[in-house]
Order: sequence, then C-alpha cells, then structure tokens
Amino acid sequence: MTATLETPAPPDAGATPPARRRTRRRTPDPNRDQVRGFDKLWVFVFLLPFLLLYLGFTLWPLVATVYYSFFDWDGIGPIDNFVGVGNYGSILNDKLFWLAVVNTLIFAVLNTAIKLPLSLLMAIVLTRKWLKGTKVFRTVFFAPLIIPVAMAGLVFTYLLNPSNGALNALLLDLHIVDQPVDVFANRWSALLVLVLVSIWQIFGQYMIYWMAALQNVPEEVYEAADIDGASEWQKATLITLPMIKPVAVVILLLALVNAMHVFGLVVTLTGGGPGTSTYVVSYFIYQEAFGSVPFSYGYASAAALLFSVIAFVLVTSQGVFVRRAQQLRKEYGV
Amino acid sequence: MSAKTMPAKPMSAERILSPPHRPGQGTRRLRLNLVAIPILLLISLVWVYPFLWTVSAAFKTQAGVFSGGASLIPDQLNFENFRRAWVNAGFSQFFANTVLYSAVSTLIEVVKAALCGYVLARYDFPGRQFLHRLIIATLFIPVASIIVPQFVLVEQLGLLNTRAGVILAMSGSAGALYVLMFTGFFSTVPNELFDAAKLDGAGFLRTFRLVLPLARPVIAVVVIFQFVSNWNEFNIPLVFTLGQPELQNLAVGMLSFRGEHSVDWSGFAAGMTISFAPMLIVFMLFQNYFVRGLAGATKG
Repeated sequence: MTATLETPAPPDAGATPPARRRTRRRTPDPNRDQVRGFDKLWVFVFLLPFLLLYLGFTLWPLVATVYYSFFDWDGIGPIDNFVGVGNYGSILNDKLFWLAVVNTLIFAVLNTAIKLPLSLLMAIVLTRKWLKGTKVFRTVFFAPLIIPVAMAGLVFTYLLNPSNGALNALLLDLHIVDQPVDVFANRWSALLVLVLVSIWQIFGQYMIYWMAALQNVPEEVYEAADIDGASEWQKATLITLPMIKPVAVVILLLALVNAMHVFGLVVTLTGGGPGTSTYVVSYFIYQEAFGSVPFSYGYASAAALLFSVIAFVLVTSQGVFVRRAQQLRKEYGV
Repeated sequence: MSAKTMPAKPMSAERILSPPHRPGQGTRRLRLNLVAIPILLLISLVWVYPFLWTVSAAFKTQAGVFSGGASLIPDQLNFENFRRAWVNAGFSQFFANTVLYSAVSTLIEVVKAALCGYVLARYDFPGRQFLHRLIIATLFIPVASIIVPQFVLVEQLGLLNTRAGVILAMSGSAGALYVLMFTGFFSTVPNELFDAAKLDGAGFLRTFRLVLPLARPVIAVVVIFQFVSNWNEFNIPLVFTLGQPELQNLAVGMLSFRGEHSVDWSGFAAGMTISFAPMLIVFMLFQNYFVRGLAGATKG
C-alpha cells in the first residue's frame, strides 16, 4: 500500500543524486531517506532506547535460555555444571511437563474456539446502528479487563466455592442440584472453569479488535446491500466476514498465542490443582525456576525452550494452513 | 453487484429524506431493539455480577460474606473494610506502586516505540530490514519462557528487589508490536510533507516534532493498552518482588490476603474495589479513543 501511495516520489529521489556516494550493494529504498552526516547520530540516538531494552530483555534472554538449558544451574554461583542434553532427556520423561503441555494446548484451543466467534458476534451486534445503549454494553464487556487476572481468579474462587459461593447458592435455590458442586475437585471441570473465567476476562479486548476490523469495512457497501434488500444475516456472511478475513487471521494468531501464556489465573484459581492436574507450561516453568529451593534454572530453561518450539511449530503451521486454505479457495472460487 | 449499485444514485436522495416517511422502518428498529436489549441485559448481568458482588462484599461483614450466598445486598454499610485494606493490608502502598509501575513503564514503552518506529519508517540505514524482520520474528515470544534470564540480568545490574528493576523488566519485555504500529503509521505519512519540511530547513528533530502530533491516534492506543496491561501485570512483579511486599503492585499484593490473613474476603473485596474504580473511570472517559484509535492503527 505504501508503494502505491508513494509512487510519485521517484522524481524527487532522482533530484538528490548529486550526493550519490552509495557504494553499498544494498538496493536503496526509494521511499526512505538515505541517512547522511549529522543525521546518522540522530538515527542512532532514536534507535538506542528500543535497541538496548530489546537486546537486554528479548534477544539476550533468548540466547541465554538456550545456553542455560545445557547446564544444571540453580542460579547461585558460576554456571559450570554442563550436562549437555541431559535436561532435555529428563524433560522428555517428565510426566508433569507433558501434562502441562497438554493442558496448555487444551486451554488455548478451547479458549480461542469459544471466545473468537462469540466476541465477533457481540462486536457485530454492538456496532448495529439501530441498537440503543451500545456504549453501556461496550463498557460492561470491557470492564473485566481492568482488573488484574490474578484478582479475577481470587473472586471466582470465592464465587465458585462449594460451601458458600454464589454459584452453588443459586444452583441449590433453583433445585438444579441437591449437593453443592465443587468445580475445582476434578481436572476437567477445573480446566473448564479456567477457560470460562479467562474468556470472561479477555472478551472485551477481542470484541474491540473485531470492532476495529469491522470499522474498516466501508459503510457504502452496506448501503448498497440495503438497497438490494439484503438481510442482516446476508450482510454479515456475504460482506462482513469475507472483508475482515485478513485481520481475522491476525486476531486468531494473537488469541492462540496469548492463551498459551496463561499464568495468573492458574496461580490464583486452581494453583495447578487438584494435585498437579491443571498445571500449565508457564506455571510449570515458574515452579521449577522460582517455586522451591533448589531452583533449577537450567531445567526450567529447557522446558521453556521446548515449549516455545512446540508452540511456534503449531502456530506457524496453523498460519500456513490458513493461507493454504485461502489459496485453495481462491483457485476453486469457493 | 456493481451493476446493481449503479441505479443507487437517484435513490440515495430519496433515502436521506425517507426514514420518517417510510412506515416499516421505525417499527422494525423498535422490534429489533425489543429483542436484542433484554438478551444483552441478561448477558450483561452475568458479566458484571462478579463486580457487583465484590462491591457489595466490600461493605459486608465477614459473617455477611459467608452467609450471603448469591445476594448482592450487604448486611450492613460500613467502611471498616476499606480502612483495613488501605491501611493494615498495605493497599495504599500497592496502589502507589501500581500507579508508578504503570505510568513509568508506559512512558518508556511509548517513547522507545515511537522513536524506533519513526526511524524505521523514514530512514534507510544499514541493517534496517534485518531489524524489522527480527522484531516481527520475536513478536510472539512469551514472557514466561524468557523470564529466567531477565531475572538474572536485573540481578546482575544490581536492581533486584528495587522499583527500578521491576519497571525495567516490565518496559523492556514488551513493545515490539508497538514499534510495528508506529512504523506502519509513519510510513503512511505522505512524502510531500517531509519534502516541505526539508525545504523550510527543518532538521531531523524539527521534522520529527512536526509529524509526531499526527500519530496521536497510535499514541493513544499504545498508552491505553499498555497502561491497562501494566496495571494488571502479574508475572513480572511476582517474580521480581518475591518476598518484598513493599514493592508489590495490586495484582501481586492481593495474594497476601490469601496467605497471612487466611483469606479476609471482605477486606479483599474492599481492596479490589479500590483498585478497579479508578481504571473504570479512566476507561469510561477514554472509551471512544479505544475503538477509533485501534481502527486507525490497523488501517496503517
């Protein structure tokens, strides 16, 4: 898009060549100024804050994680106990790690599969012109985002507790159950609670993503459809969905990746329990690295790296899959 | 389809005039609202229930919380819980820390992303493409998986268990996405504007100060989103303030109600009410910025 927007630029770029001293093999970018003289310093100064933090808190930690993962290191003293792939060997046999991986993936998929369609539906409903009070409803769905996840988790542990929580009080009053239900007593119901509470919390954010995507659909298209007598359903399926598809892929990726980082909710809502049955990977890493003495930074790093690779492969293959599907559709005109 | 839209031209004038005259339109809208609003109200009730419960529990006695069940009406109206949370449980400290962490980290993030995004969008320098690709490649790295080296780094800088350390970790690990947002925005600014600035003799800094105000929608989005996520940040403050209650933010400090106070629910509810009230006000004030700003940012 920028290329088409800036096509009139080349004549101007042609006007500057007097200072043409480019001996670099790189092809100069016609849309960007070449940096010369004193500006070099400014470019450097502008890049510096980001680069420093990026180097310190993203790039170096990535490299260090790989490095630590080959050592048996508890964070104290020098890193000298090289164990090769020993950590990886232990992790491959660590049942708790694989349980955590499976839980994380179940959580991420279930969470995404429920929240994306529902938040899209809600975004479509709340952007209808005929609807009254959209601002109030928008605020309602956004509200859970402003409380820390961990706090939300604590509130729900109370609301869902079997002895005097609101859920059980309601269920008992309505005679739906005769015995209080303890949703945290069993792995599957505890996982489901994690998924649902997380959706409750994050719903507004995805609704806003969808609303932003919907705003990019030009109003005239809908007006034209109105004239043709299209129903709301036809407008949604034949205009809205196809037009927001590119953004939808990005939102899908964001949703999946964010869901794989679930941490705070697990800490406060289930604490990994009952037993260790709702461990997720970030909680596993936290427990290994900081949870109990002796800390095992090396082991935690290996686990982190292994899961990052698993997640990366899954997410990118899914991205490739989506692109392939879109291509096929285009080819066959479906 | 385009053939069908052609005759729309003469009709559009009628469309502007028509709404009050067309009989079906008004009642159809009313009918749709009558169906949609009750459903939405019901869902909304479920959605805000945890909030309402928290606010009402903040006024309840401990016994009132336990016997109240799903009821939202407090058994009494006292502010003792608030005092206990604010003074005894150290909420005033948590609150001050949260404000400090959120404000400073957000500021650092906006500044570094805007500066870097601007340079990436406007200037060609060696390694530009490489940096751009690197940022995209590392966009989705989870904090949890690289938190151990971050911890080691802050420890080696001698900043462990200091506020500066927490802020550094919080503002350091986020922000790649925002750089891309700024880059996207600044590359849509027409070149003519820069040429005009150059003709006027504006140097590097003057030009930047000229175009920066144009990026206001992007700045708004970054500030709002990052402020909210910093306000709620849990993983980094938890790890970087282990056993240092005076450094903790609300999200982490909240856990102390579970440990030492053997879950003081009414105090916890009061503390939570204190912590979400200001954010709710901020959101209601800046609501429109969210959607409008995000839409503007995704266009770029």
